[in-house]
Amino acid sequence: MIITKEINCFNNELVLTNQRALFWKAENSLILSDLHIGKSAHFQKSGIAIPSSILNKDLQRLADLIFHFKANKLIIVGDLFHADYNKDLDEFKQWLTAFKDLKIILVKGNHDRLLNSIYEDFNIEVHKTDLKIGTIKFVHDNVALEENYFSISGHIHPGVAIKTKGKQRIKLPCYQVTKQQLILPAFSLFTGLNTRDFPEKCTNYAFTNDAFFEL
Amino acid sequence: MRNFKQSQGYTIIQNWMESKGQKPFTFQSKTWERYHNNYSGVVVAPTGFGKTFSVFLAVVIDYLNHPNKYKKGLKLIWVSPLRSLAKDLAKAMKTALDEIGLDWEIAVRNGDTPTNIRRQQERLMPDVLLTTPETLHLLFSQKKNSKWFKEVHCIAVDEWHELLGSKRGVLVELAIARIKSLTSNLRIWGITATIGNLEEAKEVLIPYKGLKTTMIKAKEKKKIDIVSVLPDEVEELSWAGHLGKKMSHKIIPIIYENNTTLIFTNTRNQSELWYQILIEEAPDLIGQIAIHHGSIDKKQRNFIEDAIADGLLKAVVCTSSLDLGVDFKPVDCVIQIGSAKGIARFLQRAGRSGHSPFETSKMYAVPTHSLQLIEVAAVKEAIKQNEIEARIPYVLSFDVLVQFLVTLAVGEGFKPKETYELVREIHAYHYLTQEEYNWCLHFITQGGNTLKGYEEFHKVVLDEDGFYRVKSRRIAMLHRMNIGVIVGEVMLFVKYFSGGYIGMVEEFFISKLKKGEAFVIGGKVVEMYQIKDMTVLVKRSKSKKAITPSWLGGRLPLTSYLTHFLRLKLSDAITANFREKELQFLHPLLKSQEEKSHIPRHDEFLTELIQTKDGYHLFMYPFEGRLVHEIMASLIAYRISKIKPLTFTIAQNDYGFELLSDQEIPINEENIHQILSKENLMSDITASINASEMASRKFRDIAVVAGLVVQSQPGNRKNNKSLQSSSGLIFRVLNEHEPDNLLLKQAYNEVFDYELESARLQTAFQRISESKIILKNASNFTPLSFPLKVDSLRGTMSNEELSKRIERIQKRALTSQYL
Repeated sequence: MIITKEINCFNNELVLTNQRALFWKAENSLILSDLHIGKSAHFQKSGIAIPSSILNKDLQRLADLIFHFKANKLIIVGDLFHADYNKDLDEFKQWLTAFKDLKIILVKGNHDRLLNSIYEDFNIEVHKTDLKIGTIKFVHDNVALEENYFSISGHIHPGVAIKTKGKQRIKLPCYQVTKQQLILPAFSLFTGLNTRDFPEKCTNYAFTNDAFFEL
Repeated sequence: MRNFKQSQGYTIIQNWMESKGQKPFTFQSKTWERYHNNYSGVVVAPTGFGKTFSVFLAVVIDYLNHPNKYKKGLKLIWVSPLRSLAKDLAKAMKTALDEIGLDWEIAVRNGDTPTNIRRQQERLMPDVLLTTPETLHLLFSQKKNSKWFKEVHCIAVDEWHELLGSKRGVLVELAIARIKSLTSNLRIWGITATIGNLEEAKEVLIPYKGLKTTMIKAKEKKKIDIVSVLPDEVEELSWAGHLGKKMSHKIIPIIYENNTTLIFTNTRNQSELWYQILIEEAPDLIGQIAIHHGSIDKKQRNFIEDAIADGLLKAVVCTSSLDLGVDFKPVDCVIQIGSAKGIARFLQRAGRSGHSPFETSKMYAVPTHSLQLIEVAAVKEAIKQNEIEARIPYVLSFDVLVQFLVTLAVGEGFKPKETYELVREIHAYHYLTQEEYNWCLHFITQGGNTLKGYEEFHKVVLDEDGFYRVKSRRIAMLHRMNIGVIVGEVMLFVKYFSGGYIGMVEEFFISKLKKGEAFVIGGKVVEMYQIKDMTVLVKRSKSKKAITPSWLGGRLPLTSYLTHFLRLKLSDAITANFREKELQFLHPLLKSQEEKSHIPRHDEFLTELIQTKDGYHLFMYPFEGRLVHEIMASLIAYRISKIKPLTFTIAQNDYGFELLSDQEIPINEENIHQILSKENLMSDITASINASEMASRKFRDIAVVAGLVVQSQPGNRKNNKSLQSSSGLIFRVLNEHEPDNLLLKQAYNEVFDYELESARLQTAFQRISESKIILKNASNFTPLSFPLKVDSLRGTMSNEELSKRIERIQKRALTSQYL
């Protein structure tokens, strides 16, 4: 189930979803980060039995989002691929054949270290450090803010830890939003949560399967 | 008997001892003789009475009697749980052999052994190898390792009681099984302290039908003097748990009266606090008092241990970090602060003082709240009756089996059928089914049961010759790094920004700290500056408001053996003719409990209902230890909420638990039996707790042991970073994608066996069902309920949905600036 929450940043209408990606109306684009495609196969190669069906699920979710918003563009702010070329990437390529008209733009992250020819082969437009569209700047890990741009980044896999009075702790993924930047949750479900780092004065939009919470 | 005592070997040893003016203890010569007659067995003896020489010299005598039966190479494998013991032990063995005139080579091999020495050993094994269970398994992962074990005559397991109740015990069982399969006439000997299940301990160590087994118990006993340190007046001791700071002026004179005192606390947190208290109370002790716990830098710890051995320290505040290990001759006094939580642990700690055979161990028990005095009386009684806790061996640990199979596959490879028969012979896998075994094979070769789910997974490969092998060097290397079953918390080094290590803290603790916040570690106040590469960089701080790290795992529950005696003592306490000074001292308090409410006799179960301005309190006192109470509290809350939906605040300690509600709790003489019923126990418990969250926590160790999580070493720079993932994440993934995974099943089983202590819970409810249930209304807090009231560790139990709950938490968070 796709639950949404609309916010406005620098006069851009952004639709946050509880499926770990946001939709940008003006550009008809889905914006997401940290897919880490190839992670399960990379683990398998090292003798750690992580099922590949994780990738199927991630891709299924992405397909649902594309259909739901009728998006024609994906802007991925880094860590599309986890490590070396492996069978998961073949599966991704197979999946892509169903979306002939989908344009994919990648701003490289620290994990994206494959040869340029591979990205070409996938028909992915690659930006090495950042990409600016209108007043939005896309970058993998936002280190320095630029005054006239609203930054959208990923990398840190943000989450919030909610501690109840007892021993229980609930961790939820979230979008971290300040006046000048937004940090996306990691798209892949096979990622951990970082509940330690917060930009100053940020609102955390945490979500579950059926709701959003502002914290 | 005559025959043996006339043998050449015995005569040589006898003469050697005589030349030193010694005589063997009866249990020693008995061990020698049984060994001579081809027995395997278990030696039960207190420390300090030469238990090492019982088994070690047995092998020596046998060799002296039949030198031609022994060929070149490894003859005796000596397994001990601690690395630190090995060096001293090897020295003692070497000295003995030099004096006897036997030129055996004795060597130590463990994680600290340098690579060049290891390579040297691999070319030519020594005659005696002192090692750990983990290092033995590492040997199995080497190419052509079986040749090293062909001439082994004996495998001896020292401190078997320490290994038995843990997965390390399973490692030992597996190692013995493999070595036994490689050599023709192996004798297996264990050395253990007294525990509650000695017969079982023997069965687990030596499950082989073809071996003659025996148990030899030393008659020698360690004398122990237990003294309760009482405050001047009963009122001085708080009803509730506090640090007992007021007792510090009673402790200082004890320190001065003795040479060296070990002061045991239960948590690292408490040891840090007590260290501060003691140097404040007696500043001239600075420099003569040290602090020792698992989070202090290893070099620093070694330094402190050497200083104790050299008699340079008056006192050391420590935790279980000094429970075991080399003997400290100068230590002549031990102080236990708070409860030792168990009889065995109490004895173990007491035994750290007065170490030589005929000295008396001196133990001062310092209560931190009044009811602990009853505990001291209970421990004394238990020791008098020689009732000591059992160590329950692990069974069906699939994680260890999976690790073992991969170890074999990395080493020489294994054949599935033979290995199945090998593991089925040992206690841990006696009930392993063919299906379960096949699953394990499946898991290491294909990753799981899902077809096509693991195309890139080729950890272990089935070769054409029918052997399972690991082909990839990288996988072999990762596996070797991961052998073992001790899974630590994720620890970070703490280092000064300007350089210099201080110690280690759990990531869990640091994750809650903000930059600039001060905390105490190793007796120093520092402030957090930065976290980098698994290292916390800190600066010195002058802050008065430093937090003491709360290391996890410090909260052990009282053992069921101890609580049994506790109930008996409390039951006796009110009758007039008691002689124990602890009970005498507590009399005013106990009398007040009897007047305000009731003191439960051994065949009674007490429930108190108290109404205050906080709300309606329900107190129950099963005296079963914190863990069981935590579960019972959830269960009782669940059963009451079926009568009337209520939200409770829950608190528990080692004696009982409290349910607090803002509405009247519908409990009365009629329905209380129903609420405490033993019927539908496990199903009600499953409904009342969050089993999957508990299982997820248990899965942490399992995932590491089974090789699903690559452990990162503190201080290491990002090794295998692309392979990092948390066990919680893998637990979630497997739950969703591979629900039949046996390692998940094991996690749930471990929750029921160890976390819920289901056996103990069932016994408790059985006992309650046979007890007379007493329901009392009290107008105010009673001495029994008060400690619970102030217990800070509170949990909430409610049946609201997650989203609703978060909304509620969110509101609270906004008002208290939670994030």
